[in-house]
Amino acid sequence: MKVGLFIPCYVDQFYPQVGIATYQLLEKLGVRADFPVKQTCCGQPMANTGCEQDAKPVYRHFVDTFQGYDYVVAPSGSCVYHVRKHYDVVEQTGAVQHVRQATYDLFDFITSVLGVTELPGRFPHQVGLHLSCHGQRGLHQANESEMTPVRDGQLSRLLRSLDGLTLTELSRNDECCGFGGTFCITEEAVSARMGQDRVQDHLQHGTQVLTGGDMSCLMHLQGIVRRRQLPMRVLHAVEIFNVALQPSGTSVSTFVPQSTTAERV
Amino acid sequence: MPSRESILAAVRANRPAATPLPPVADFAGEATVEQFTHWLHFIGGQVIRLAPAQPLDQVVRQLYPDATRIASDLIPATVPVDQQTPTEVLEAVDVAVLRGELGVAENGAVWVPEVNMLHRALPMISQHLALVLDHRSIVATMHQAYAAVQHTGNYGVFIAGPSKTADIEQSLVIGAHGARSLVVLLR
Amino acid sequence: MSHPQRAAAFTSDAERTTWHDETLWFVRQKRDKAVYAIPEFQELRQLASDIKEHTLSRLDEYLEQFEQNARANGVQVHWAADAEEHNRIVLDIMRGVGATSLVKSKSMLTEECHLNPYLIKNGIAVVDTDLGERIVQLREEAPSHLVLPAIHLKKEDVGETFHVHLGTPKGEKDPQNLTEAARRHLREKFLIGQVAITGVNFAIAETGAVVVCTNEGNADLGVNLAQVHIACMGMEKLIPRTADLGVFTRLLARSATGQPVTTYTSHFAKPAEGRQMHIVIVDNGRTRQLGRPDFRNSLKCIRCGACMNTCPVYRRSGGHSYDFTVPGPIGAILSPNIDMRQHSSLPFASTLCGSCTDVCPVKIDIHAQLYKWRQIIAQEGELPVSKKLGMKLLSSVLARPAIYRFGGKIAREGLRFLPHALTHATAFNPWAKARELPEAPKQSFRDWYQQTVK
Repeated sequence: MKVGLFIPCYVDQFYPQVGIATYQLLEKLGVRADFPVKQTCCGQPMANTGCEQDAKPVYRHFVDTFQGYDYVVAPSGSCVYHVRKHYDVVEQTGAVQHVRQATYDLFDFITSVLGVTELPGRFPHQVGLHLSCHGQRGLHQANESEMTPVRDGQLSRLLRSLDGLTLTELSRNDECCGFGGTFCITEEAVSARMGQDRVQDHLQHGTQVLTGGDMSCLMHLQGIVRRRQLPMRVLHAVEIFNVALQPSGTSVSTFVPQSTTAERV
Repeated sequence: MPSRESILAAVRANRPAATPLPPVADFAGEATVEQFTHWLHFIGGQVIRLAPAQPLDQVVRQLYPDATRIASDLIPATVPVDQQTPTEVLEAVDVAVLRGELGVAENGAVWVPEVNMLHRALPMISQHLALVLDHRSIVATMHQAYAAVQHTGNYGVFIAGPSKTADIEQSLVIGAHGARSLVVLLR
Repeated sequence: MSHPQRAAAFTSDAERTTWHDETLWFVRQKRDKAVYAIPEFQELRQLASDIKEHTLSRLDEYLEQFEQNARANGVQVHWAADAEEHNRIVLDIMRGVGATSLVKSKSMLTEECHLNPYLIKNGIAVVDTDLGERIVQLREEAPSHLVLPAIHLKKEDVGETFHVHLGTPKGEKDPQNLTEAARRHLREKFLIGQVAITGVNFAIAETGAVVVCTNEGNADLGVNLAQVHIACMGMEKLIPRTADLGVFTRLLARSATGQPVTTYTSHFAKPAEGRQMHIVIVDNGRTRQLGRPDFRNSLKCIRCGACMNTCPVYRRSGGHSYDFTVPGPIGAILSPNIDMRQHSSLPFASTLCGSCTDVCPVKIDIHAQLYKWRQIIAQEGELPVSKKLGMKLLSSVLARPAIYRFGGKIAREGLRFLPHALTHATAFNPWAKARELPEAPKQSFRDWYQQTVK
């Protein structure tokens, strides 16, 4: 199985630890992923701004980069959703069709392709899960509250399988965080307010570690947590799993969640 | 007439490819007095089950002891009402006691066709409304209700509970413009 | 003003924003409870969508069938190509019967056509009789929600308005007492109303009947006491059969407010003896929308307002921030069809979270249409120049790996070494108003990979 790792542009530059954890976790699950260095971006920032036409060269570059892999795996449901849903505007060559089908969100890949629904490991903290809208409503990785009261999904199942981990029960399980790509700049006031409300819900219900499958949402939420100096740590879920799945004997996750202003991961 | 023709022409030019009309929907459901009662209570109405030989006018007098102006074709009325009754007479009616044709278990609605209303405005302008309904005429859902009604006639209304509003801060207030209370008398 | 500016003004009152958000979220929760209780709810949505799809595909035939049946019922049918013609038709009907006063139940179409100011200018006394509509009418405001027109107001605001206009005691803010005052005030209006206007929720082709759904009973009270009933409808309100109402009445109130059905579901087919009934069928841009394949299914909308209640942006920016008759997500896909330039910021007033699409009882792909409108707005040159150029530049960078790597490094190192006061200056970095930027690491993932793995 040839797996290409897609590390979204902002993760590459600002959250390398998320890329590293993705690489290492896949390795622990027996998958040696390859990172084609000519990769750039999926093109979503342009397309969501209305410049889909300008994004086409980026789409072609993405396909060109990843067409030789059986699977393309990314720690970002949003980018994956974009490739699958919106790469319909370029000519549907065999390569384009293949890449659209073969691109997976990391946890979807772990659950659906590798067939892993539980992970051994320990993470004795209260974890609040932020569902990204593109992962949940776009890729149907979790139940939507619009349809059913049952709160379930790929990522929540994986997290619950960790020893010692408590998942926060939120007032609003799947409200959008307000990141929304360029929305977070063009509609700054509403975006910030949405993020503050999400963080508040987690704070009220005891979240120590705020996590999710999409670093873009988390970057936005982390920005608020740090600005307000809240006693909450923000980690991509892959970082949690990678820490929890240490080889036996190693002590795991010794950090105590605290104000994150001075913290570095 | 020109707008009619131009609109229809524009529709013909722009309409999408034909798709089939789905068959009439029907989902099963519980056509029970219990369901009907549950939902009518939920929306602010009341259900009273009449004993077999209980005289209707006696029940109405007990329910509305202060009502002096009662309009009805089911019990002796104190205010005669027909389609010609002037507004100022209608406006003074305390209680209207009318026949409901059909009850809907899933939502507590009762079908009241024009012929049962005496005057079209009576069910809404009366301060209180009582609908007399045969318990055997309760159906499960709106699907069965429309199937039973067949044609909605010149005018007819599904009435589900008393008039209400929540337009001020989402606070539910019973008695907006129509009847302040609704009782279904089941027999 | 654009949506972001109006939204920023709204959110600047943090407490009121909290209240607005929570009040509408409460309605969304009531909706959820009602929806979860119906096992076939998702099937009903599909059916409703399919019925509307079919109706749109033969809309001309159904319109003609409807007209023919309505005429046979003794109803006078009028056709209006646009708002102006609609308003003129209504005025002509009123003048024809010598009427000078009008009671009106809820009709978003007449809001869309700006009927009230037109009639008032022509000497007609217009009274909106839905409580929420009456409140905003007295305040000379537009409704801020399809179903809850006065949801932007608190009871103290309504109390003040009623004190001024209806003479309620100063400081009275109890919703029960305020509603009672409105009931008395509006009863007087109902009793003297010569003409009653209603909107139309559904128009039934096979019978020529129109169906109006209210909770207050104001539509029935108005129509049944007036000499003349004028029902104003957008042409997309048609459905083929009476039996189809089973599907739509099960969806409408549950989606809108979580009620199992509206209090009054009223079927008007034939005027009472000696009275008149008119139906005005209005296009006003609808045939144009029908001709846009990507957007035509917005015409399936049954105006339940569920997309507003669920929209995290609407809840925190208020209906007036959209500055369009229909606010919220559905308004953001209807408005560019009317005037793309004026409403160009609305399709961007969304995170594309998709919740609107998930609650829509007729399965309109609202968030997908928002995305598509963005593309058209950009192509038509309605994006701000800075945004447009920025995206072109970004694209040329992202298609060139070497420049991309260089740019990323510049951004990261800039963030590392420039002073916080500069990187977080809100004048040119709106992000930093409420948020910290990420802390820039020493090396990128790419650097780590090339050093460690390869």
